[in-house]
Amino acid sequence: MNNTVIWNIIRFFVLLALQGLFLKRISDGWVTGSLYINVFLYPLFILLLPLQTPRTGVLLLSFLMGIGVDLFYDSPGVHAAALTAMGYARALFLSLYEPREGYKLNDKPTPAGLGMNWFMKYSASLMVLHLLVYFSVDAFSPIYILGILLRTFFTFVSSMAAVLIFVFIFMPKR
Amino acid sequence: MRGLLQLFAAYGNFLLFGFLELLALILVVSFNQRQGAIWDNSWGMATAALDQSADWLGEQWALRDELIKLQGENIRLMEQLDNARYSNAVRQDTFLKDSTEQLFSYIPANVISNSTIGTANYLRLDKGSNHGVRPNMGVVSSDGIVGVVRAVTPHYSQVMSLLHRETRIKAALSNSGYFGTLTWNGKNARLMQLEAIPKHAVVAEGDTVVTSGYSQLFPYGLPVGTVKSFDFSGGGNFYNIQVMLRNDLNKLRYVYVIENEMWKEHKELDEAVNE
Repeated sequence: MNNTVIWNIIRFFVLLALQGLFLKRISDGWVTGSLYINVFLYPLFILLLPLQTPRTGVLLLSFLMGIGVDLFYDSPGVHAAALTAMGYARALFLSLYEPREGYKLNDKPTPAGLGMNWFMKYSASLMVLHLLVYFSVDAFSPIYILGILLRTFFTFVSSMAAVLIFVFIFMPKR
Repeated sequence: MRGLLQLFAAYGNFLLFGFLELLALILVVSFNQRQGAIWDNSWGMATAALDQSADWLGEQWALRDELIKLQGENIRLMEQLDNARYSNAVRQDTFLKDSTEQLFSYIPANVISNSTIGTANYLRLDKGSNHGVRPNMGVVSSDGIVGVVRAVTPHYSQVMSLLHRETRIKAALSNSGYFGTLTWNGKNARLMQLEAIPKHAVVAEGDTVVTSGYSQLFPYGLPVGTVKSFDFSGGGNFYNIQVMLRNDLNKLRYVYVIENEMWKEHKELDEAVNE
């Protein structure tokens, strides 16, 4: 248990640094000077929190992570609003996708723990929600709805790719 | 306190979620230039719309006052008309004594319920004995006659509509002066029947029908309607005349109750005759 807490704390800072120092520069056109790809990897922190984490803790941690990312992006509140919404919805999707026999004590919300199929449904649903809220708050007006949907779609593809790569590198199947 | 704790136990996470979202959105509009500008703009539009609604409400109230003022104005004018005044003109040798006294005065009222469906229709007014309304007063609107007051309470009065099978109102053809009795057969809310106009009278479609003045209810010459058609189908010596009402009783809103200032003298005379 203690081990899990430490790993989650480390993951918090690693993902925050990765998002703020590396992935943000990609979206600013750092790689080639002309390629602008939004990649949001930091929601993975909320996705990978242990299943037993109290909902209150999930909410506070997602707000904290969002504010941390906002500090790098210089957009106070925008990431925090989106990630808090995702953190609140996590429990809803967890119960929606609950296996027939229920979650076991040692289950982890990873492809290795609950299967690839389950993890894809779970992470894709929450990622779509996160991106929709993020781009809505970013645009801040319903008249940009087409732009919001387009950005959500393209960012979803790149972010899910990053999430899967991260998960397979750091959490290979045993 | 206990209830509050229970509330937090049951909805604590939702409240925390709402609080955090609110905090995030406040940060968004406070520290982000673009979102802040959009927010200021929308907020301005919303308050402007609210302002407009408040203005509209105020105007409605002002209109109500205006309406009451106009009703009073109408009454002043109607009471100046010849048919609302009693004439003392009498010729004595070469000396013409000519003065008038008020005969009819008007009380403004609003219709608060009305029906035109059955064969015995009543409407209710928001003025009663407190305002001087008594049973057996005529009721008119700006378009013509409406009915007769049947019962009053301090604040309300019940009016027998023209559209009632027992309606008997003396009405005259304004061209020729022949008068008859206005009744309603219960079929069409716009059509009434004028009976007892003798066969030798000249009647044409479109003739105006007015009140006859042969009653204490209505002054002479208030509009009732126009002749729509006529025949002798009863076979007798009288016309059957269909009168198109000028007043649409289906959409009545503001009316005037007519007070006969000399009703007591009429009553005394009636009693004297009956003794």
